[in-house]
Amino acid sequence: MSSVTLRELTKQYVGNAARSLDAVSLEVAHGEFMCLVGPSGCGKTTALRMIAGLESVTSGVIEIGDRVVNDLAPRDRDIALVFQSYALYPHMTVFDNMSFGLRLRKVPKDDIKAAVTDAARILDLEEYLDRKPGQLSGGQRQRVALGRAIVRNPAAFLMDEPLSNLDAKLRVQTRAEIARLHQRLGATMIYVTHDQVEAMTMADRIAVLNLGQLEQVGSPRELYDRPANQFVAGFIGSPSMNFVTMHVESRDEGMRLVRVQGDMEVVLENGESAAIRRAGVDSVVLGVRPEHIDHRSREGRGLQFSATVEVIEFLGNDEHVHLSSGGQNLVAIVDARAPLTVGDTLTLSASSAAIHLFHPESGVSLKER
Amino acid sequence: MSQVRSVQEGKRARLLKRLGLSRAVVNVILGVVAVFWLVPTISLLVISLRPESQFGTSGWWSVFTAPSQLTWGNYTTIFSQGFAAGGVLDSLVTSLEITMPVTLLVALISSLAAYSLVFGAWRGRDGIFLVIVGLMVVPLQVALIPVVQFYRELGNIFGLNPYGTIPGVIIFHVAFGLPFGIFLMRNFLTGIPRDLLEAGRIEGAGEWKIFYQIVLPLALPAIASLAIFQFIWVWNDLLVALVFLGGNVHTPLTIFLYDQTRSLAANYWIISTGAVVSIFVPLIVFFSFQRYFVRGVLAGAVK
Repeated sequence: MSSVTLRELTKQYVGNAARSLDAVSLEVAHGEFMCLVGPSGCGKTTALRMIAGLESVTSGVIEIGDRVVNDLAPRDRDIALVFQSYALYPHMTVFDNMSFGLRLRKVPKDDIKAAVTDAARILDLEEYLDRKPGQLSGGQRQRVALGRAIVRNPAAFLMDEPLSNLDAKLRVQTRAEIARLHQRLGATMIYVTHDQVEAMTMADRIAVLNLGQLEQVGSPRELYDRPANQFVAGFIGSPSMNFVTMHVESRDEGMRLVRVQGDMEVVLENGESAAIRRAGVDSVVLGVRPEHIDHRSREGRGLQFSATVEVIEFLGNDEHVHLSSGGQNLVAIVDARAPLTVGDTLTLSASSAAIHLFHPESGVSLKER
Repeated sequence: MSQVRSVQEGKRARLLKRLGLSRAVVNVILGVVAVFWLVPTISLLVISLRPESQFGTSGWWSVFTAPSQLTWGNYTTIFSQGFAAGGVLDSLVTSLEITMPVTLLVALISSLAAYSLVFGAWRGRDGIFLVIVGLMVVPLQVALIPVVQFYRELGNIFGLNPYGTIPGVIIFHVAFGLPFGIFLMRNFLTGIPRDLLEAGRIEGAGEWKIFYQIVLPLALPAIASLAIFQFIWVWNDLLVALVFLGGNVHTPLTIFLYDQTRSLAANYWIISTGAVVSIFVPLIVFFSFQRYFVRGVLAGAVK
């Protein structure tokens, strides 16, 4: 098992003006669970396929362990890939599917049997070893695909949206199973998904990609608390962060952000004021997560606004409240026991710590990190 | 499995209902059609089992009133020559000598070509495929004379003239079998998910291993149909054999049978007996390949 390092990795398909992957540098430590997330077409799968050796490298370097693998054939890279489609060999039994790689490597029969039996036990597949993939359920096929990767004990596991073909309940189950597997094997895993919940729940660190570029790498908490830019802020968290463009107003007692419609106002901390001054902008994008909006009254610092309730989505423990504040739509998560009805006008607030500020053009976070 | 079957039965029942037919009526209709189709073959079989002397005096259907006339006599007579040149057994062997290599070669080369056309990473694959499809419309007859000339030219240059030899016939048949073979195989292989090959590649399989351990087993139904078609075409071929092997000592069954019709004294008993022998081999081929027609070979591969 070993680390995986990408240096300025770039992919440009012939006949495509845009780069599918643009100078992405990323270090995945030995034993780390790294998630690549991003919307479809962001280059995450391309990156994974390049690490696997299924796509050629336009420029840049891929290292697995301390070997540069750019020009190695997939089979020489000592990696396993779990496909979104599972890609099981339909004419082989589960046992043969799982042992295929070992048989190709001429591993002694007894060792193969031991490895497969072991993996089957971990994955609860023991009684299905003689079946063919066509006779298995979706979840079982998924586990066979995982098993095929496990038996080879590779340097790194690559997974390409392995849960996207499962139904919601099974997905949650398998998610936990993969996390357990990671702890048990201590293996380096690179996991591609478009679902930020999967990334947040499983990953040690997350790399957020957009339009072929790496937006931010960090632990789930870092990405949630201190997003580097507006894209990451909007991508991580569900429902996603509210964004409002606000005017900067300098007054004697300090700087504030205002939006006349909806009486929206933010009294800024000194650090924030300084950052805005440095950026030299007269408007900024305010970001605030739905779960950080409440109706506590806060004197002084933080965000304050009034809004009308438009839609209430009841979720049991809490409610997603869709609000309109002077023509600006926002979402807030509130306790389900709060006595709200559609049409209510509320005064809402968020603490200064929960506020994110982004540059109006570049989208870069203006908050000190 | 049983679920699948019951769904199919449900569909069938609905179809019958819509047509307003009961199962019994359908079975009777199908039976009549089947008998109608089989009459020529049955008559051939009956004629081959009647004594030669009866041929001119009564029709084959008299066997229904006088079954005692049936005899193995014709078979013992034509087999009595053994494997002597010009005999039916010698022709049978010659037919096999031509048909089996052709079938094997066409199946193998078509599969390899189709693999490259579908999964290869070279430019112009689609163009080449179109050319191959275009070749399917070239009638075999127009190529006979050019190929004979070409063979002769080969003989002049290399001292090896395939004309008049069994390899010469085999080469010709393979060449004309390939366009359809590649067409069939290519269209089948496009249905195999690319992920399967990539999975194999990552697990350590080279191109050749991927071909024969992953693609070939999945392509068996297509290969079986191709083999059956190819076998029957070549088995029944008279024209090519006549052009390339006419006047040879060893000739295939088609020429053997054809030779019997030429003489004024109609050797119908030999023709019918030989024809039954000739039908027998493709039947064996068909039934032995039939088990490869498995529906849903790709079930469970992806998703």
